[in-house]
Amino acid sequence: MTALVDVQNLEKNFPLTGGGNYLALKGIDLEIRKGEFISLIGHSGCGKSTLLNMIAGLDLPTGGTVLLEGETVKRPGPDKMVVFQNYSLLPWLTVRQNIALAIEEVMPDLGKAEQDALIEEHMEMVGLTQAATKLPGQLSGGMRQRVSIARALAIKPKLLLLDEPFGALDALTRGNLQEKLMQICNEHELTAVMVTHDVDEAVLLSDRIVMLTNGPGSKIGGILEVDIPRPRQRLTVVHHPSYYSLRSEIIYFLNRQKRVKQWQARPHKVLARHGLEKVNLDLGFIPLAACAPLAVAEAKGFFSKHGLDDVQLVRETSWRGVVDGLVDKTLDAAMMPSGMPTWMTAGGHGSDPLPIVSSLTISRNGNEVTLAKRLAEQGVSTVEDYRAWLGSHEREPHRIGIVHPASMHNLLLRYWLAANGIDPDKDVHLQTLPPAQMLADLKDGSIDGYCIGEPWNFRAASSGHGVPIVGDLEIWSGHPGKVLGAREDWAQAYPNTYIALTKALLEACRYCADPAHWAEMSELLSDRRYLGIKADLIRFSGQQGDSGSFAPHGEPHHLFFGAGLNRPSRSEHLWILTQLARWAEIPFPRNYVEILERVCSVGVFSTAARELGMEDVSYQRQGIELFDGRPFNPEDPIGYLNDVSLHRDFSIAEIPIGQPRAISV
Amino acid sequence: MTLTSPKPANATPGPLLWWKRNRKQILPPLFGIAGFLLVWQLSASLGLTRLPGPLSLFTEVRTRDLLLYPFYDRGGLDKGLFWQTMASLGRVAQGYFLAAVVGISAGIAVGLNKTLNRAFDPLFQFLRMVAPLAWVPIALVIFQKNQPAAIFVIFITAVWPILINTAEGVRQIPQDYHNVALVLQMSKKTFFTKVLIPSALPYIFTGLRISIGLAWLAIIAAEIVMSGIVGIGFFIWDAYQQNYVSDILLAVLWIGGIGLLLDRLMAWIQSRISPGQ
Repeated sequence: MTALVDVQNLEKNFPLTGGGNYLALKGIDLEIRKGEFISLIGHSGCGKSTLLNMIAGLDLPTGGTVLLEGETVKRPGPDKMVVFQNYSLLPWLTVRQNIALAIEEVMPDLGKAEQDALIEEHMEMVGLTQAATKLPGQLSGGMRQRVSIARALAIKPKLLLLDEPFGALDALTRGNLQEKLMQICNEHELTAVMVTHDVDEAVLLSDRIVMLTNGPGSKIGGILEVDIPRPRQRLTVVHHPSYYSLRSEIIYFLNRQKRVKQWQARPHKVLARHGLEKVNLDLGFIPLAACAPLAVAEAKGFFSKHGLDDVQLVRETSWRGVVDGLVDKTLDAAMMPSGMPTWMTAGGHGSDPLPIVSSLTISRNGNEVTLAKRLAEQGVSTVEDYRAWLGSHEREPHRIGIVHPASMHNLLLRYWLAANGIDPDKDVHLQTLPPAQMLADLKDGSIDGYCIGEPWNFRAASSGHGVPIVGDLEIWSGHPGKVLGAREDWAQAYPNTYIALTKALLEACRYCADPAHWAEMSELLSDRRYLGIKADLIRFSGQQGDSGSFAPHGEPHHLFFGAGLNRPSRSEHLWILTQLARWAEIPFPRNYVEILERVCSVGVFSTAARELGMEDVSYQRQGIELFDGRPFNPEDPIGYLNDVSLHRDFSIAEIPIGQPRAISV
Repeated sequence: MTLTSPKPANATPGPLLWWKRNRKQILPPLFGIAGFLLVWQLSASLGLTRLPGPLSLFTEVRTRDLLLYPFYDRGGLDKGLFWQTMASLGRVAQGYFLAAVVGISAGIAVGLNKTLNRAFDPLFQFLRMVAPLAWVPIALVIFQKNQPAAIFVIFITAVWPILINTAEGVRQIPQDYHNVALVLQMSKKTFFTKVLIPSALPYIFTGLRISIGLAWLAIIAAEIVMSGIVGIGFFIWDAYQQNYVSDILLAVLWIGGIGLLLDRLMAWIQSRISPGQ
């Protein structure tokens, strides 16, 4: 594997007409191997075409270099041929003459007969022999682009550069040409770089997809490897298990970029009022039944009651959006899965540790494991059945959907599977999916089941696509579900805002805990701003559903408020740390006491509760005990971790989280 | 009634059918011109204007001879209108050819080179505004002789539209074509013949068409001032001096007709050389 193209720390600065500069690209590093097909994807104006032009030599970088086979690209040349979006055929030359012109210019030493043979070969390749004597004006867009591709290939470039080659074509023509290009690339082992904004096109054609962030100063936001084997076919590739996760990954990235752009377009002044340091907040949430306290706090005016005049609830489609929102500071705080504060603090999101604080447990319970109807039809109704069924269906891939590695769904599902003799990594594969996509995946059979919060289990049950197999009440009744999380530096900068936010949400939690309000809450959450589904599908307790099989438990499912329910619990977060380390999501932090002390804003909670006159809710919870009855001793987490029979190779390490510091405003 | 059998009842002979189809194109201009001539003739006959009416082309013996015998040649300046016109056209051909060569080459140079363009554009725009007649004395001073001076006036009048349009055509070559040339590392010659000229050709022809009209305008103006030469311009001046007003009318008719023919000719050449652009 040698790098054919090596892009090193590339930067492009455009001088503006009114003076000043526009920094289009910055710090681009990319290696392209021989025979590889790379797609550049990003929003309009992200500089993807600029990057392509710099690889082509049509534009020169203002910093960094592009190397082609070790030599700096200084000018364009036929060894890096470009296929332009608008074909760029010379309209006064026929198809044949257009191709001939390229060959004559690039390979003048070739004999006439050989040149003719090359022309014929390439017109044949793109199926245009019939149209040889036509002028480009007499051809359709698809045919013109085929000529353009033939012209590019005829001169045998080392690198083929395609600038949105199919952007101007209708869907049918585009599909045909994509297959044609793919076939040609495979047969001739071409190295190609393509600019596109078509997600499906990128997944179909590429070996790697390079995602660019928005300008100014666009960077590579991520590189996806497409592990779908070749030869690929447009119609069958969608059935490959990776297809939709790659697709949703790109779409998530593009949406995220759009979100950031919109956020940047708004003014961001910190409004201080009523003795609070900041009253305009962006709160992230995911549409789930457990987001009720946030919706209620907004609808019932609890935010403004506590002085937070301008709170925007920002709906994310996946927990990853919440993580990214906190990392890039587009969110002030967010509802997050209870595992996320420690996970992010320990750097589980794949970059430097980002200390997160949590002053409130917003909800408990509400999760359930649902298996697809097809499994129930084969007699799978208990975990023992499932284990046996897995044993007899070894050769098929078995995927179970989870919403996030740091969510309680993942940890409880793993705990439950492991305790029942199913290795959650070897016997099945746990796949992170956006909550709203789970049901669709369950329907089309690409996952065996999922573990998720309401309303998705009830929806699967009521639509007959899935059968609940176990509820969290049977795994760990009263486990923390969703918590309030914010960056530690944010909390340091806005301490009174942090308390006010905690108070508003705690009061909302109390409102949500009253069964008399549940009908109203269902109605509220059914709004398009939140879940956007029918109100009768949103339930907060495990009462007997219409399907008959749903959650046959007497006690309330969701717990929003009560003695010891809302106070951030260090021992619970410690248990979460052990589980995250058990499955090697993060190393177990040697400085776990410091981390827990920093993550759990017990003082903020106590202040909030006291100021609300709710001293009674601040009592600590009882010890942690799961369904298998194995005791958890918070004094000896490593012993607990060593004691479990099934775990990955975990490590113990010091996680440097620095000193608490306020965000620079 | 079926589509396959045309209705024989409605079949009309060829010329009549042609007339039916085209009369809407033919009749209005015919009526317009006839009306104009009628009003003119009436106003002349009634003595409203001293300008003779269109009928004077036939009633004046002198003018009728000129009209009917354009090919006579009695030596000296006394030649039929055909020869007068040919002499003028000959000058136009020389001056215009020179203008085309200089205009196209200079236009390409200016179009390709931004610095050249910045250097000369104000000058071009300035000179372009000078009326053909104003050049006549300058030309006479420079050349001292009528013939080269007339050619110079035609040249200096006709060169600007060609030059400016060519330069614009070269500037308007799409970036895509430049990119293709760059990527293929085309030689200068190939770029010139395969990309630049074909791409700028429509602009060049626009310039040429504007210029041929201007050249024709200029020659009449130039000849009027240059006494003692054969040419339709001086013919008019001579007729005016001798008060042959209807002769002037006839000459104007010739001038207009030739101008129309020249424009059609250029359009035809353009359609032959760069079809469909």
